[in-house]
Amino acid sequence: MLHAILFASALALGGEAPAPVIMTGGEPEAAPKVVTAFKAKRLYLGDGRALDDGMLIVADGVITAVGKDLDVPATAAVIEHDGVISPGLIALSSSDGAGGELYDSTRIALPDADAAHAFRPASHDFARERAAGITAVVLTPDERSLVGGTSAVVKTNGGVVVKRGAQLALGLSSAALHDNEFPTSYDGALRELDRLFDDPEGAISKAAAGNLPVLMSVGDRAEIQRALAFAARHHLSGALRGSYWAEELAPAIKASGFAVVCDPFDVGDESRGARSVKALSEAGVRFGFGLDAPARHPDCLRFAAASCVRAGVDPHVARRALTGDAAQIAGVGGRIGRLARGLDADLVLWSGDPIQLSSSIEAVYIDGVRVVGGER
Amino acid sequence: MKNQVLSALSTTLAALAIALPAAAQNGDGNLVIKAGKVITNAGETLENGTIVIQNGRITAVGKDIEYPWNAQVREFPDAVAFPGFVEAHTTRGMDRANENIDVAAFLNVRDSIDPVNFYYEDALRAGITTINVQQGADCVVGGMGYVVKPVGMTVEQMTVRPNSGLAMSASPKRGKSRATQAQALRRAFDDLHRYLDETVQEKKEGKDYATREAMFQGREPDEETAKGRPMTGSAWKVEGLELVPRWELDEKQAPLLSVVEGKTRVFLFCGSPMEVMTALSIASENGFLHRTVLVLDNSCWKAADAIAERGVPVVLDPNLMYVERDPLTGEEQRTFVPKVFQDKGIEFALRSAGNSGQSLWYQAAICMANGLTREQAIAATTTVPAKLLGLGDRVGSLEKGKDGNVVLFSGDPLSVRSFVQNVVIEGNLVYDRATDTRAMHLDSGAQPDNTAPYDPNGDWKPHCCDDPTHEHVVKTDEGEDPQEVEEAPAKKHNHPVDGDKDGDKDKDADKQGEDK
Amino acid sequence: MMTPGLLLSLALGVGAPAAGTYYADVVYTGDGQTLERCAVTVADGKITALTPGVSPKDDAVRVKAITPGMIDLSARVANSPYSVEETYEVTPDFRVANTLDLFDVTWERHLQSGVTTVMASPYDDNCIGGLSVVLKTGGAKDVEKRTVRADAALRGAFGSQPSSRNHPAYGAPDDIFSRRPTTRMGVEWEWRKSFFDALYAQGELDAGTKVLRRALTGELPVFAQAWATQDVRTAVFLVEEMKAEGDAKMRLIVDCGAEAWREPELLVRSGAAVVLAPYDHDGRTTDGAFYALESAKTLTDLGVTVALSSHYAAGPGSVLGAQAGYAMRGGLTFDQALAAVTINPARLAGVDDRVGSLAVGKDADLALWNGTPFELSSRVVGVVLDGDLVVAPE
Repeated sequence: MLHAILFASALALGGEAPAPVIMTGGEPEAAPKVVTAFKAKRLYLGDGRALDDGMLIVADGVITAVGKDLDVPATAAVIEHDGVISPGLIALSSSDGAGGELYDSTRIALPDADAAHAFRPASHDFARERAAGITAVVLTPDERSLVGGTSAVVKTNGGVVVKRGAQLALGLSSAALHDNEFPTSYDGALRELDRLFDDPEGAISKAAAGNLPVLMSVGDRAEIQRALAFAARHHLSGALRGSYWAEELAPAIKASGFAVVCDPFDVGDESRGARSVKALSEAGVRFGFGLDAPARHPDCLRFAAASCVRAGVDPHVARRALTGDAAQIAGVGGRIGRLARGLDADLVLWSGDPIQLSSSIEAVYIDGVRVVGGER
Repeated sequence: MKNQVLSALSTTLAALAIALPAAAQNGDGNLVIKAGKVITNAGETLENGTIVIQNGRITAVGKDIEYPWNAQVREFPDAVAFPGFVEAHTTRGMDRANENIDVAAFLNVRDSIDPVNFYYEDALRAGITTINVQQGADCVVGGMGYVVKPVGMTVEQMTVRPNSGLAMSASPKRGKSRATQAQALRRAFDDLHRYLDETVQEKKEGKDYATREAMFQGREPDEETAKGRPMTGSAWKVEGLELVPRWELDEKQAPLLSVVEGKTRVFLFCGSPMEVMTALSIASENGFLHRTVLVLDNSCWKAADAIAERGVPVVLDPNLMYVERDPLTGEEQRTFVPKVFQDKGIEFALRSAGNSGQSLWYQAAICMANGLTREQAIAATTTVPAKLLGLGDRVGSLEKGKDGNVVLFSGDPLSVRSFVQNVVIEGNLVYDRATDTRAMHLDSGAQPDNTAPYDPNGDWKPHCCDDPTHEHVVKTDEGEDPQEVEEAPAKKHNHPVDGDKDGDKDKDADKQGEDK
Repeated sequence: MMTPGLLLSLALGVGAPAAGTYYADVVYTGDGQTLERCAVTVADGKITALTPGVSPKDDAVRVKAITPGMIDLSARVANSPYSVEETYEVTPDFRVANTLDLFDVTWERHLQSGVTTVMASPYDDNCIGGLSVVLKTGGAKDVEKRTVRADAALRGAFGSQPSSRNHPAYGAPDDIFSRRPTTRMGVEWEWRKSFFDALYAQGELDAGTKVLRRALTGELPVFAQAWATQDVRTAVFLVEEMKAEGDAKMRLIVDCGAEAWREPELLVRSGAAVVLAPYDHDGRTTDGAFYALESAKTLTDLGVTVALSSHYAAGPGSVLGAQAGYAMRGGLTFDQALAAVTINPARLAGVDDRVGSLAVGKDADLALWNGTPFELSSRVVGVVLDGDLVVAPE
């Protein structure tokens, strides 16, 4: 057992400083580069912009150039895609591939728990996610803990941990209240959180000092109010996890500077969820989508964005929420989530617009490696 | 459980022992009542009026009118005389309101009315003098109801009108779906049709099965039933029914035949708006729409247009405020049900909630508070239910020729401060608050000597009343049942908390099949 | 058909005027005055004038009667187990204010029924549950802004409820409920122990002890749920004992008090006040207690301060106004009934400087009636809260 844990840790550590040499800034190395040029009818850049008839050059898993009519190196393989390319989708708040180990029921506060330790790169869950165009997920400690520990951003292929200690997960919803153990009340939970943040240690002190964003789970409207008041009291920043009831409170959330990890939708869900996201979007709140996997199918991520567009959210904002904004919320915007020079080549080749549910996925690349789709 | 029943019974008996002798003692039905104010409910209100009752009937109402020199006169200078309230439909006052077979038209509440049931005592205390007792809605076709007065030691003594109408239900119970309930209701009439066809055919073929079966069951012909007669009614007919002497018809089918022939009133329960549609169509198809009274759940206001179109009168659920919560906004929307029916011009009667604090006077007052006129509110508890029961010429107002039922209130009948001081039924003084030990107990907690101790939990059955937690979530999906939602944030556990802790009430009321 | 939610949002949406005049055939001020044909003028959230004997101006909102906005000290607006920390049986310094959900429909129900001020208390699963708060039922969705008095009372419960989940340690799962008390005797023991410990605590006091000390000195009233006779007696005896031991100014308010009518002399002797539960079910209540219809009269006549309550304000018959009506059915005069839903609760909660009667300078909280107040044949059709018409008469 111990060996297994050590092994997993080693893998995780390996991911943090990936073994394959990653080219950053295009400094030449002795080893020959594997260069691929992608051409597509349209590139969605992940920051809300689109580029028609664009090109993308990828060298050794990193995007080296994005634009129109770029010079293609002679050695490059050229992939002409009669469709759309977007950055890989990013699922916030997921527990896929963590083997159900993101909740420690014996302790209500475990600030230094690291979700990366629950990461199982070989999990079959990730195959499902890749097939849905998801190239990175944020493994997030369970909302049932008052302080669940820190989340980790991982790739759905290659055992790569993009970032560990990404967000400190706090439970401010009734899910963190218990039937027969402390805390059973909101006031009990708040007191304990206040106590922990008044005299902070470990990850909590990082969060209290503003060096670690928090991710506060909320449910109903009163919980959102309580969470924002708590954050203001301790000068915290980060994101709320849970958007269903956020509609009327969108201006208050905007004023707080918090982002929102929206609840995912299923087919048949009430329209309130989408309305809330629309209100957040109109208030100018940054948001991404959580994925309650494995309880939900990974396709729900894209479905949620599409539902929001149907409810009136700007399609560009919705696409950004799936990619660039999600990366920002998880604190990895400098590495994934957009098609830009220097970022990881996590790409999805679509038949059409990603938020059109009729669009299908033709290929998925993670770190430049084709992981979905037949031909190399 | 048995102890509780016994103690409830003994309390009742103890109370009746004091309350009832008056009725027994002056049981000749002749009485002159002088009251400080007489609300005739027939257009006029008299200051210092007189009501003359002879042989149980009102012979005169007026100011300074003459009455026989030897009449017994009771003077109530501070009281307000009022015709008794009329309860259009109740499933209380019986030993168990429900039968567990689908089609039970042969049943009769006569056999289960319990004259010493607490309910009748409470009815007197609340000024209700006429009550239509009907079977609960568990059966698809239930039995025959009775209109009674809340006084008497036997059903015969209590009876105002026997066989007031047949109970039916379009609302699924006992594991049925709405579809199977509707089908079962339709099939009851199909079965009747087939049975009549077969019986006529057998007669034509000269077979005497029906005669022999009737004799075997111990039935005997009388003058009325010795002969056959053609089928009447407006919907469908079986030719040649005159060949079958009526006494030979199966007693399971005869009441339904009477319904189809338009001779029997039907109290048809609907638990949801869509069931109203089923009920109306089955009543039309079988020719008894004009004899139908719909007994409605409070959600059924949504079908008010369809009801208005067909001119069918209704009896409303005791819970007059329909509350639904929008699942998208969490907001409550309230609809005051009687106002909807009033505005659509539908005749409606109110019912008491199962709690004596919320009897018909209460329902009428609540109607006034919520936009009905005083006249409309009082009509819905007096003249309208009287008319629905076919007793428009007998009860509901103080007029010459009507039953000698007078309720003497200490003040305005709809005021929260008024009590029923005395009740006269058919010219007999049957209730006097001064000797009502239970009223004393309810008011002050007093426990007079020689009365059974009050057992606070003995006979308590919570009832569904003003209970907005009986909520219906707005569902756009027509296929689904309206779901009930818990009102408070999800309870982690159950406590034996307040008596009025809402959620449980409905469940208990359902369990008893009360009023459903 | 009414859609109060819509009305409310419209009323708020158009930015109801900060100043306005409300006219009624009769205005009951709540402190004994009955003003006929009276205009109530409000500005900046306060009452600026009461002018009897006038004709209504065209722009005045006109109704049959006006009373002060009503006050319910036992409104059960926080009636969820999440509002009390059950990990301990005694949590004096926990604040219910931190657990309130202003989006809950209960607030709206109370506001619609003319109740403008309520006391929110923790759910009664603990012996001593924590600090109650008095706040308005409408206005901004912000607990702090709505608060009229923070830490208005120390809430607790006697009777069967606090011990109902506990079990002995043996033969049962080892959770927080493996503990005392499991009987009402044990509940009383917890109360007494807490107060004695607080009274004799040495050195630096913890937050809970400080709160208990404030209750012992009478700064905070003890607001204790007790339905049955034995629980009312227990509460009174305990407080009398603590008064004898410590500060004689300790105050008791019995909540629910279904059987308080059986012990009026005891309540008079101890100076305790009673917040009566809503009358329903012919007096059959919790803990087997029988609630006589004349309770309010019996207690009031002997000089006990009585307030009425509606708990969930669930339907037309259970709103606070109707409870005042039932109290009158039980013999209370109109003025006494009015006081029991306005100035009495205001005094008990220590907020009578702001609410509870209509007087110049007090908060402009009005209940507008379509007929005689407290009769079931009338109801509150409009509500003014802090000078804003938050429920508009149709």
